[in-house]
Amino acid sequence: MNDNYNYAFLDEGSKREIRRSILKAVAIPGYQVPFGSRELPIGRGWGTGGIQLTLSLIGPADTLKVIDQGSDESVNAVNIKKFVKMCTGVPCTTRTQDATLIQTRHRVPEIPMRNDQILVLQVPIPEPLRIVEPKEEVTKRMHAEMDYAPIWLQLYESLVKYGKVTISSEYPCAVEDRYIMNPSPIPKFDNPKLHQAQCLYLFGAGREKKIYAIPPYTKVVSLAFDDVPFEKESFAGKKCRLCGSTDTYLDEIFDSATGERYYQCSDTSYCKEVRSR
Amino acid sequence: MKQLHTFHEVYDSQKAFRLILEGMANPGRKLSLGETAGKLYGKSPEMLAAAMTLCDSSVSFCCLGDQELPEQIRLHTHSPQFPANEADFLFITDPSQMEAAFSQAKCGTLENPHASATLFIRDTGPETEKLRLSGPGIKDSLECFVSETARRALSLRDAQNYEYPQGVDLVLIKPDGTFFCVPRLVRKEG
Repeated sequence: MNDNYNYAFLDEGSKREIRRSILKAVAIPGYQVPFGSRELPIGRGWGTGGIQLTLSLIGPADTLKVIDQGSDESVNAVNIKKFVKMCTGVPCTTRTQDATLIQTRHRVPEIPMRNDQILVLQVPIPEPLRIVEPKEEVTKRMHAEMDYAPIWLQLYESLVKYGKVTISSEYPCAVEDRYIMNPSPIPKFDNPKLHQAQCLYLFGAGREKKIYAIPPYTKVVSLAFDDVPFEKESFAGKKCRLCGSTDTYLDEIFDSATGERYYQCSDTSYCKEVRSR
Repeated sequence: MKQLHTFHEVYDSQKAFRLILEGMANPGRKLSLGETAGKLYGKSPEMLAAAMTLCDSSVSFCCLGDQELPEQIRLHTHSPQFPANEADFLFITDPSQMEAAFSQAKCGTLENPHASATLFIRDTGPETEKLRLSGPGIKDSLECFVSETARRALSLRDAQNYEYPQGVDLVLIKPDGTFFCVPRLVRKEG
């Protein structure tokens, strides 16, 4: 641990502000709480929202895991781990079960998380209504009035145009029948994992300066019509080329030399574990 | 130099925050701030521990009850003391003042529901009242025994008829530091 920095890098005033925002976010599931996003030694858009949440939460009793698109070894994940370890000295792990705090970008781990674990998600665009309304002032009012007609219309237009809802990630969902929320760019495969989960989900958008949350055992419903139910990605007939799993989210890898397509688990830690069994 | 307390601003406030967060995420779960409160002093060390974890000069507080607590909070957090209807945090050590607190506490607006108060209420008396809670953070429903003070606090909250997402969040805390939280969306059944 580098003692030249305050524990967990941020000054205590910044942590307190973020902590207060986290508590409000948990009390009002799905509502985006504004916060004063701090400068970090990493560019905005590279997970600064998630990092600020992690730094405000973390303590000596924690074990950290960081994943990026399901991988423990990608550049973003490795650098965040190194940074947090440098200013806290906490142990890091790649095993989902051993972590108390998991920061992730674009995936929810395959192994169901427990009540004593917190999943921190990095969010680029927290506002689900941004695609239909560019003004923050207006989207805030729309949330206040539960004016969600434009987002339903967007789903309907997609259906009319393409015969199905074409949103593959950042699929909007309704939290406790009140707020429509952007679950961050997780594939819609992961959306059902948010519903009635055991763990606490925290979402941090550093550039957009918003924090929101889904507490454990919260109703999270992906938007769908009565006659067109929500469908997650199907990997029917495909399996991971490494571990053989058929029930996980698979990445498609294209070999341009042979023209062959391979599939393998996006969650590298889960894949490794299955192979070691 | 006289040392007033051994509460560590970095490590103890992190520990206390994680406990309060666990409480908010799992309403009705009994947790304890006793360890960190034990490092503080005065008649309400559990309240002071919560204040030192969450308050600073950018938020305001109001104390109803303990005469010494406002001075202690100001000294350690530099948080300004505001009237109950403007304060971000209300520390209620005298349960007889709950009615006044609930009628005045900020409940936010439909656009900014986060601009609402968090109430820390001293929870006294035996836990003889059966309570059933439900809402986010609770699997199905949770049956627990609470004090008359806690039951009254929830009744007073419900009497305000807040329109969600407006509302206040409650932390009911015993003098020994044992506490449980009731965020605004958690309902009292029956």
